[in-house]
Amino acid sequence: MLKALKNMLVMIELEMRRLWHDRTEIYSRAIQPILWMTIYGPVMGSARAIPTGGVPYTDFITPGVMIQTTTFVSILYGLTMVWERDSGILKKLLVTPAPRYSVVVGRSMASGVRAIFQALIILPIAFAIGVRFVPNPTYFLLALIVIFFASGGFAATSILIASFMKTRERFMGIGQAITMPLFFASNALYPLQMMPSILREFSAYNPLSYVVDAVRGLLITGNLSSLLIDLVAIAIFNITMFTLASVSLRRIIE
Amino acid sequence: MDLAVQINDLVKVYDGKVRALDGVNLTVETGKSFALLGPNGAGKTTLMRILTTQIKPTSGEAHVFGLNVVHEGSKVRELISYIPQEMSVWTDISGYENLLVYAKIFDIPHHEREKLIHEALENMGLIGVKDDLVRTYSGGMIRRLEIACAMLIKPRIMFLDEPTIGLDPAARKAVWERLNVFKKDYEVTIFFNTHYMDEADLYADEIAIISQGKIVARGTSEGLKHSLGGELITFTVEKIPINAENLGEIRKLHFVKDISIEDTSISILVHNAEDSLPYIMDVLRNERMPVSKVSISKPTLDDVFLKYAGMRFEEKGRISDVVHTRRMIRRG
Repeated sequence: MLKALKNMLVMIELEMRRLWHDRTEIYSRAIQPILWMTIYGPVMGSARAIPTGGVPYTDFITPGVMIQTTTFVSILYGLTMVWERDSGILKKLLVTPAPRYSVVVGRSMASGVRAIFQALIILPIAFAIGVRFVPNPTYFLLALIVIFFASGGFAATSILIASFMKTRERFMGIGQAITMPLFFASNALYPLQMMPSILREFSAYNPLSYVVDAVRGLLITGNLSSLLIDLVAIAIFNITMFTLASVSLRRIIE
Repeated sequence: MDLAVQINDLVKVYDGKVRALDGVNLTVETGKSFALLGPNGAGKTTLMRILTTQIKPTSGEAHVFGLNVVHEGSKVRELISYIPQEMSVWTDISGYENLLVYAKIFDIPHHEREKLIHEALENMGLIGVKDDLVRTYSGGMIRRLEIACAMLIKPRIMFLDEPTIGLDPAARKAVWERLNVFKKDYEVTIFFNTHYMDEADLYADEIAIISQGKIVARGTSEGLKHSLGGELITFTVEKIPINAENLGEIRKLHFVKDISIEDTSISILVHNAEDSLPYIMDVLRNERMPVSKVSISKPTLDDVFLKYAGMRFEEKGRISDVVHTRRMIRRG
């Protein structure tokens, strides 16, 4: 168990080393959420059509668009696993004494590292364009931890999908086809109450909504009444995905 | 003798129809360099993936140092190193970082880590480029880095799947020189797959030939070639008609197995051409038959393959080999 934990840390270290050598992806991926915050936010906000509970619309969507980006990064992370299957890396990792689940969980959590750095690029920019955050360092830290763990869950989801896809091209399509619906059927851009009831039902099973709700509470509104539910939902999501991805890893290599 | 690998009646059927391994029986002795030779698609990689605990056989058993690869997989994984056919290092970090990550995965104690990594880099001649991104390495350097990774844990057996595919001859030679040093220093058993006959010929103590999921022959390179009957010496005699009676003296030599005559050339089948040649030359000279040209033809592993697998090696391998090699180059 201790060994497995150590292996997960090595995977995270590996990711940080890769990130250190090539940071362009983090910068270029920050462009999209910035556009949401600087263009879409003010324009939609000026229409005053969306009830945000008293916060400016741009502030309201900041956690959502940021998490959309980190989620997309995590989902694409499964692609790395497909690539590593094409190359021999995954095969070699599986022939080491490291338990298989530690490879899956470790690689997944490694994507959380990317997500945190991504958030750390986006947040100062949001601050600079006038988004007001809850001035509480503990909340801020907790928000980063939520993003870190949730990204791990999404990365495990993508490893699970990758184990069925097996080619990069197919996976790319699926990656898009999953993140966008998750994004639109969540509370990232509008409160759940505005959605048609069918969508609201779906949203109750959408992990992204819980992540956005938690981070929005911690960073923007300071309202933590549903934080516990959010954290439980994220934990269930993560454990389910870690388990499924570990089991299906066999499919990737065969 | 302690057996490094022992395989009994191993069968692997993919998707219920493709019979990749069809009853393989094989043993490999400890400390030997063992080559599994066969064309692409013969089942080499499947066998290696079963031995390295990646996939399970459909039936039959395989043991590595007495450990069952299915039931004692985690113990097996502690004894072995494996280098897959495809590139297996991260290209977006440096060579040193690759080794560091593997050292940590293998749980090498902190105080030994630096020393072992340095040693591995030095043995593989990569000290000078250790901090460069692997992306900038040549194919040969990447292979040497992979071997360095495999050396880190001082395994008891190394499994190499096509260790020199896509490498130029000089790089191939360099890789094997390093491997042999490693084998000698640490008495590690080397089990490698190859479809290069010369590679099996030069670097394997023992060879098993695999074709369509079956081991069709095994032995040393010499042994396999001699099993074909012997070596052929052909003499071209100057201008005079060959008198069959003159050849009687040659026939009397105990090592001569057969003689055939065609126009002005005599072909003699012997066990060992180099040893026999001087004696035959003496006889020919005594018989006043001036020889203008001598040629020796020895059986190759290709001939061995033809005999035991019933087909030419090259014909089957060529196209898929080219495709595969290109793919490797594109990646590397």
